Amino acid sequence: MARTTPTHTPALKYILACLLSMALLFSDVRYQTFSPLRGSIQAVGIYSQLFLESFASKLFAFTSTYEDQKTLTRQNAELRSELQKIENKLFLKEQSQRISTDIINMQDRLKELADQRHPQVFKIASFGLKDYLCCSQHILHLQNPSEFDISINLPVAVDKTFVGQTSKKNLNLIEVILFSDISHILPVKINEFHCNAQGTGKPMLVKCIVNKELKIFGIQENIKVMTSGLGGIFPKDIRIGRVLSINKMSSNKFEIEITLDGNPMEHNYFGILASS
Amino acid sequence: MKFSSHILIVITIFWGFWLDNLISEFDIYLVETCIGFLTVSYWIYAIPERIQSSAALFYGLFVDLFFGTAIGFHMLFFAGISYVIHVYVFRFRIFSYLQLIIFFAGSSVFYLACKYLIFSPENYSYLLLISSFFINALLWLPIYFGMRALRRNFF
Repeated sequence: MARTTPTHTPALKYILACLLSMALLFSDVRYQTFSPLRGSIQAVGIYSQLFLESFASKLFAFTSTYEDQKTLTRQNAELRSELQKIENKLFLKEQSQRISTDIINMQDRLKELADQRHPQVFKIASFGLKDYLCCSQHILHLQNPSEFDISINLPVAVDKTFVGQTSKKNLNLIEVILFSDISHILPVKINEFHCNAQGTGKPMLVKCIVNKELKIFGIQENIKVMTSGLGGIFPKDIRIGRVLSINKMSSNKFEIEITLDGNPMEHNYFGILASS
Repeated sequence: MKFSSHILIVITIFWGFWLDNLISEFDIYLVETCIGFLTVSYWIYAIPERIQSSAALFYGLFVDLFFGTAIGFHMLFFAGISYVIHVYVFRFRIFSYLQLIIFFAGSSVFYLACKYLIFSPENYSYLLLISSFFINALLWLPIYFGMRALRRNFF
């Protein structure tokens, strides 16, 4: 069991140690010899304790401030999120009301244009804006989620006027060719003068090229242009625009520029007058 | 012995006296522990060849300085218990746990009695000493096994 060989323990060292201790103890108890030293050490201990407590309280204050700040930041984020949700809801509600109003207005207007036809409202799916602003092809697509049986060559209206006609059906999309498309021809009536207005490839602009003397019909700028109904697609006597300018091309050839009333860029909903 | 070993021993002794102070703050009737003293006793008992009179003296000085007792008190008792343990160290090896408990509990009661007689004779009480004997007897084994585990890990 023993890790070392038993040896004699010299008593002298211990006796000296005990005598020294006793002397120190006696002088301290009797004369308070080491009182300043003890007091200093105690003061150091107390200061250390105070410093640690102060440090701990500062640390605690810092962490609690940080926690408070974190809580406030979190609450702020939550409130912002709530506010954003409410704003979104309000916006959506407003938009929904606006859409409903638009649809109701559209339906009312379509009734005026209907001419014994059944009007239906469709939302726009896409609009070839780039082509519309620069080029000859002016086409838009309407959504048909309910898959109504919409045939081609039906009038498409906005407000109280027409903007084009259906040209194709692709899956659930209805393609609409606008009056301003260069390939579209619309029979129109200006006063008592009839002509075929062809799209110019420019927004809201069609033109008639005629060989007759226009003064006979009293055609001048800003005269309203109506549908003639001769094409069999559009009902007659519906205003589609007005004469913008009359340009003389040759001795007896005139170009009548007609600006259209219906601006497809300003609408999200379009009405199609289906056959009854 | 390495300096780090001395540091470890001093830390355990400080821990023992700090626990004593902590328990005394609760002011439990007839309860006076001597965990610090028992810890010193354990280290001298466990590694007597490494803790001689000088080491005991320095440990006592540190305790006196840091715990605010009169300089020399713990020096005296540590040197004294060190001498007794060194003289009877091989006899202690063949002691049973019960015998060790009685010896160290008795030593701590002697330490406690002297402490009261020197610093606070008006509070001296035989009842306190008797109850402390049993309390320190109960404390010896946890200190013994705890310090032994520590010693086997670090020495």
